[in-house]
Amino acid sequence: MDRLVFLLGTGLARGAVLALFALALVLIWRGARVINFAQGAMAVVSTYVAFEVTALTGSYWLGLLAALVSGGVLGFAVERGVMRFASPRSPLSGVILAIGLVMVLQSALGIAFGPDYRPMRVPFDDSAVLVGGVPLLSPYDLFVLVTAVVVMVVLAVLFRWTSLGLQMRAAAFAPEVSRLLGVRVSRTVTLGWVLSSVVGSLAALLLVPTSLGLNPHATDSLFVLGFTVAVVGGLDSPVGALVGGVVVGVAMSLVTGYLGAGLVPIAVLGLLVLVLLLRPAGLFAAAAARHA
Amino acid sequence: MSQRSRSIPALVATALVAAGLSACSTPEASPGVTDDTITIGTHTPLTGPAAAGYSSISAATKAYFDYVNDNGGINGRSIEYVVKDDGYNPATTQTVVRELVQEEEVFAVLNGLGTPTHSSVVDYLNENEVPDLFVASGSPQWDQPEKYPWTFAYNASYIVEAKALATYAQETWPDKTYCVLGQDDDFGTDFTTGLLTVLGGDGLASTQTYSVSVQDVVAQIGAMQAAGCEVNFLATVNGFTALALGTAAKMKYRAQWVSSSSGGDYPTLVGYLGEDVAPLLLQGFVSSNYLPFSPDDEWVTLFQQINDEYNGGAQFSGNTVFGMSVGYLFAQALAQAGEDPTRESVLDALEVGTLTGNGIVPLSFSKDSHAAFEGVGITVVDKGVQDYVGEVFTTDAGSGDVVPFTGEPVALEGDGIPTA
Repeated sequence: MDRLVFLLGTGLARGAVLALFALALVLIWRGARVINFAQGAMAVVSTYVAFEVTALTGSYWLGLLAALVSGGVLGFAVERGVMRFASPRSPLSGVILAIGLVMVLQSALGIAFGPDYRPMRVPFDDSAVLVGGVPLLSPYDLFVLVTAVVVMVVLAVLFRWTSLGLQMRAAAFAPEVSRLLGVRVSRTVTLGWVLSSVVGSLAALLLVPTSLGLNPHATDSLFVLGFTVAVVGGLDSPVGALVGGVVVGVAMSLVTGYLGAGLVPIAVLGLLVLVLLLRPAGLFAAAAARHA
Repeated sequence: MSQRSRSIPALVATALVAAGLSACSTPEASPGVTDDTITIGTHTPLTGPAAAGYSSISAATKAYFDYVNDNGGINGRSIEYVVKDDGYNPATTQTVVRELVQEEEVFAVLNGLGTPTHSSVVDYLNENEVPDLFVASGSPQWDQPEKYPWTFAYNASYIVEAKALATYAQETWPDKTYCVLGQDDDFGTDFTTGLLTVLGGDGLASTQTYSVSVQDVVAQIGAMQAAGCEVNFLATVNGFTALALGTAAKMKYRAQWVSSSSGGDYPTLVGYLGEDVAPLLLQGFVSSNYLPFSPDDEWVTLFQQINDEYNGGAQFSGNTVFGMSVGYLFAQALAQAGEDPTRESVLDALEVGTLTGNGIVPLSFSKDSHAAFEGVGITVVDKGVQDYVGEVFTTDAGSGDVVPFTGEPVALEGDGIPTA
């Protein structure tokens, strides 16, 4: 029983980061109907900015702020400078551009900072709190969880109850009609990219201190898992990203604990296949209603 | 078609074969050798996720060759080292090694890095009779002279390391609970096999694995803590050694860590953990090594000078010593291969068994053994300094005994530039 509680706690903390990153993918999907394969590489660029700012100023929080700002700027630049030129006729065009961007960004980081891993510190106690002798979540894990939930609530409010959110949803869903109604679709698409890139950067910044460290490839597996989470939850659904993140995080933890780490990638892919077979649009997709 | 006209091409063919055979009987210069150069190549990850751990090795080897070349080369030839990036992807390894052999026409492949990567080209190299020297991997499969006559290992095998470390652990911490965390591939399984050879079939209370694609070992370390593990063996690469120790510290779990040389390099671990916490987390950390690494060692001093002068003063780590030691051993083999080295004469120089290398145990190369090091020394970290503690063991990769070794390490000769 102790073991189960321990594994659930571990899975929850990892799941929160996955959910946040998946949310970034969902945001772009909702805003522009593309899957951003460069999300991980863009996020790692912002994390390098945070690392350098923290190293210069000694403040984690200034670094965090810098990551969010640079994430936004990068989202803007990528949308206006690269993705805008993707052919609207084929979804592959955007995917190929994004993959090219991954190579450029990761190589540039490798040239600028070298391939070594750099440790990142957090201003929290990251040792786990013992509950009944079982090492459960650390204060840092709690910070990650709370941050993820707050970001999700803010975004939910934005999309559901503000005029801007409504315009963004409309622009993504029916760009032509939205234009006729006076929505500046081009702007809302860019804004979607900016928001998404900020959230992706935040996820990477929260994850890197718990992993091997900062490296041009630090978000490779975050992207793969985050993508899985987004698809499992439904690319359209922020709630799906949250639930999917927790499901995948906990599943990974349980598989590692009871079956062995070698089976984790297989288990994640198995889950993906299962969901795609049973509910191709994802667990929380609202696709059926929209088609009606 | 008549019988007669068919026999003419057959005759021509026979004549050509005969001419070809007679050409073979006179020694021909091997590819890659000119009067004043010898070209060799390697495959290694310079980009991609694995570059962090290994890209410094080929740079160190190249720096050593530059040093040799500036001092006259070997038998008047300078050594050209062609480094090909394979990104640790076996499919790419196959491409770049074919480029090395067919386009660059290298004399030999030196220190090809990685078990999965090199496995994909070992057959090709042996079929084409290209010397495949000093593979950078601890897999025991490189030591098969009958199957792979052109392949020679470099690293002490994971099994040899595990047997030595287990013996040391039994002597130092008898009656403790032993466990292992291993990579979920050959590295982890071979190392665990070696541990069980010494500790007995039920010698490990918990056997945990990790996958390099998941940078999280909380569940594994938690299981070890729950199993009451006191002495934990690690078959982990440096990054995951750091992750394991860091994770344990966060869980307030104290244990004795005993690592394979592949994940036990102190300067590299400091890079992962940070200079502030590394000395605390790594105090008492036990690992194995077979190359000179004491701070005051004459080899280390020489390699540091070469590193400053020819490698731009790059961070000096176990990788630097490894890369330069590989270079030294190749230079030694080349020097012994004679004035006009051929692929065969280098092979003979290795199999005759007179090469010394620069390890802390003698090289094992012979006609029957293509293993380089069949023994390792034990190192311990104390107050931020990793050094040998005097215990050295030799053993084989099978079920043979682990024997204490009392000989001296190989001494430095002639400024580290071998002569015949």
